[in-house]
Amino acid sequence: MKTTFKITRKLFESIKSDLLRPHAFAHERMGWIRCRVANLSKKHLLILAHDYYPVDDLDYIKTIKAAGMMNSAAIRKALQLALDQRVSIFHVHLHNHAGATGFSMIDREETNKFIPPFWNVRPEMPHGAVVFSKTSIAGRCWYREGKIINVNKLVIVGEPILSVELK
Amino acid sequence: MKNRFDRQSFLGANSEILLRSAEVGIIGLGGGGSHIAQQLAYVGVGQFTLIDPQQIEASNLNRMVGTTLKDVRDKTLKIDVADRMICAVNPKVKIEKYAEKWQPRAHLLRKCTVLFGCVDSFSEREQLEILARRYLIPYIDIGMDVYEIDSQYSISGQVILSMPGNLCMRCFGFLNDHVLKEEARKYGAAGGKPQVIWPNGALASTAVGLFIHLITPWQASQCSPCLEYDGNKHSFIPSLRFELIKNQNCPHFDSIDNIGDSFWKRE
Repeated sequence: MKTTFKITRKLFESIKSDLLRPHAFAHERMGWIRCRVANLSKKHLLILAHDYYPVDDLDYIKTIKAAGMMNSAAIRKALQLALDQRVSIFHVHLHNHAGATGFSMIDREETNKFIPPFWNVRPEMPHGAVVFSKTSIAGRCWYREGKIINVNKLVIVGEPILSVELK
Repeated sequence: MKNRFDRQSFLGANSEILLRSAEVGIIGLGGGGSHIAQQLAYVGVGQFTLIDPQQIEASNLNRMVGTTLKDVRDKTLKIDVADRMICAVNPKVKIEKYAEKWQPRAHLLRKCTVLFGCVDSFSEREQLEILARRYLIPYIDIGMDVYEIDSQYSISGQVILSMPGNLCMRCFGFLNDHVLKEEARKYGAAGGKPQVIWPNGALASTAVGLFIHLITPWQASQCSPCLEYDGNKHSFIPSLRFELIKNQNCPHFDSIDNIGDSFWKRE
């Protein structure tokens, strides 16, 4: 299945800028993107990013396991976003380098834990996680029970339009 | 043998690939749309979706590039004229074409990189912009009008780039409830509006320029997304209204309900 993640340049840049803000102790910030989806064809899912909610400063926990980790309150607030409106929720954090990026082992372990519960509040929508780099992304989408798909195309809508096939 | 795109290599090292990969939807293949289709074929766009239900009539011969007397006699479809013109420039282009109103084929436009609206009515422009915003597609609108004022004729027009996340045609003041209501009130009484080739060509060329700016990184400076055409002075000026509101957010498409499939279902 092909999956395209589409975002305006304005939103992409503003999310990156927010994620680069220093935190009192966390080395990586994170947030949530509210999205809607569309079917470009039977085998092509389009994820459309709409807006961004940063994880509150107080919702980070001190840990040596990861550069940044959020507490259950951060997840509850994001679940509330999904409950309030018919939206797809994508977790986002930044790897501060240019070019292709990917999920680390700890990224995979953590997202595997906290993304599926979004189906408890909004089962009819796919949810997921994206990692931004300065110029690209990697993404995983929990499409349906037992089916996690990788985002394989990024489109940044702006001047100029950027279209990247992801590996 | 020289590459056909040698003379436009300044558009960037990858511009040929970027243009070939671009998929463009053109809605309306008359005076404006035919120029746009022809120019996009020359610059090297690789994929087209063309939609127009109309056949060629004698009144199209004053402005629609690519048409011939034979097309009038044969009642050739406008999309077929555009197809023929594009393929004559580049036979490798992928073309989808539909001789019907665009609304039943709206789902086919969702995959487009950029949409060009070359339609006559305000209501269709509004609908096209709503569609484009729903799928985060830049929408470029062109249009012209000829007015008679005190026995003098005035030609005006506009080229507008409606970029998702930025200001829209309502923000620019081009669309509003008053013009939409007036148009609805006059529905069926409009007749053929005056149209001539050179404003069509000027507007279409400017629209193609905005498109190139979106696809290829040949210049860093930002263009005004709303250009007003004065056909009597043969000039374009950036919208003064845009200069006043350019730092504001668009209030018309700020809801998440404006994007994505309204009733999305897993396939």
